Amino acid sequence: MNLLFFFRVGFGILFIISAGQKLIEPYQNFLYVVQSYSILPPVLEDLTARMMPWMELFLGVFLVLGLWLKQSLQGSLALVFIFLCVVGQALWRQLPIGECGCFGELITLPLHGVLILDSSLFLLIAILIKNVDKAGWLSLDRYFKKD
Amino acid sequence: MAKQPNPGQKVSKNLAAIFILIICAAFVLVIKMVLDYSGAPDQGQNLRAKGNLNAPLQIVEFIDFQCPACAKGAQYLKTFMTDHPDVVYLEMKYFPLGMHRHAVMSSRYAECASQQGKFWPFHDALVEKQHQWKNLISAMPAFDVMADNVEIDRTQLNACLKDESIDALIIKDKNEGESYGIKSTPTYFINGEMVVGLKSLKEVLNKHLEEKK
Repeated sequence: MNLLFFFRVGFGILFIISAGQKLIEPYQNFLYVVQSYSILPPVLEDLTARMMPWMELFLGVFLVLGLWLKQSLQGSLALVFIFLCVVGQALWRQLPIGECGCFGELITLPLHGVLILDSSLFLLIAILIKNVDKAGWLSLDRYFKKD
Repeated sequence: MAKQPNPGQKVSKNLAAIFILIICAAFVLVIKMVLDYSGAPDQGQNLRAKGNLNAPLQIVEFIDFQCPACAKGAQYLKTFMTDHPDVVYLEMKYFPLGMHRHAVMSSRYAECASQQGKFWPFHDALVEKQHQWKNLISAMPAFDVMADNVEIDRTQLNACLKDESIDALIIKDKNEGESYGIKSTPTYFINGEMVVGLKSLKEVLNKHLEEKK
């Protein structure tokens, strides 16, 4: 048992919760959040609102189960980097966004809070990638390796 | 040297991954079916509706009078309906958000105005002057002035504001909105299709105008 395992599972659960609410609700709610960041053309806004929650869900589940762990961590790192850029540009442009919409209505965070959270997550995932063997405790990857 | 996975292991892992993806997607779809947010409000003829009843665009709006995006949306719709008469039939429903201090009270005033046939003048005053009252500790004096400006009978208004059935009506609207999966305002249902926010509203209305050309 190790701390990295808990970080990996915790991060996966965070992704699943974040994705779950967006996927269950009408997608227009998340589209409204995407539009508020004013960074994409309408077609891509629509595509992002439809696809992003699925990516979050699949990455979250794969992280919890430890399947294709290294690739899932790399995907998560890329996703968090995108979040950082999007939130960063919103702060830079002083867009009138009260809260991020990252977790639907479950948790409301101001943009500065999101920037701190995402930066911490980015660092954490980088550490997990560096120590992927230790983070892979109780993972499906190990199960398949044993076979 | 690190042990390399054999091709058989890779196939098993890929199959497991595909299986998990399918299970996840099925799980989400089942939950979506159970919760069923696919409904849309029925359009009604009432004191909170305006426009041509047979208009091609039937809009039901869920509004929070303290929400800045709602104020912009309301002003945009007002201009659109003036520029393009007979294109829109608009009905308003209340969706006061918990984060807004004066959301419920403004809805109460609006509903009481509605009962005197003054919903739309009071609605317009509320959204136009939102920046003046939204940060007040108590907005009631500002609402009273607006009520006077649109010639609402104050005695009837005060009696109406104490009427619990007004709160019940607002809660009923909000519950109805929540049953459709509404989380933020303004949310519109245009011919039964859910549209959230001013940007999407503009897209739908402009698309309709282009198709009409």
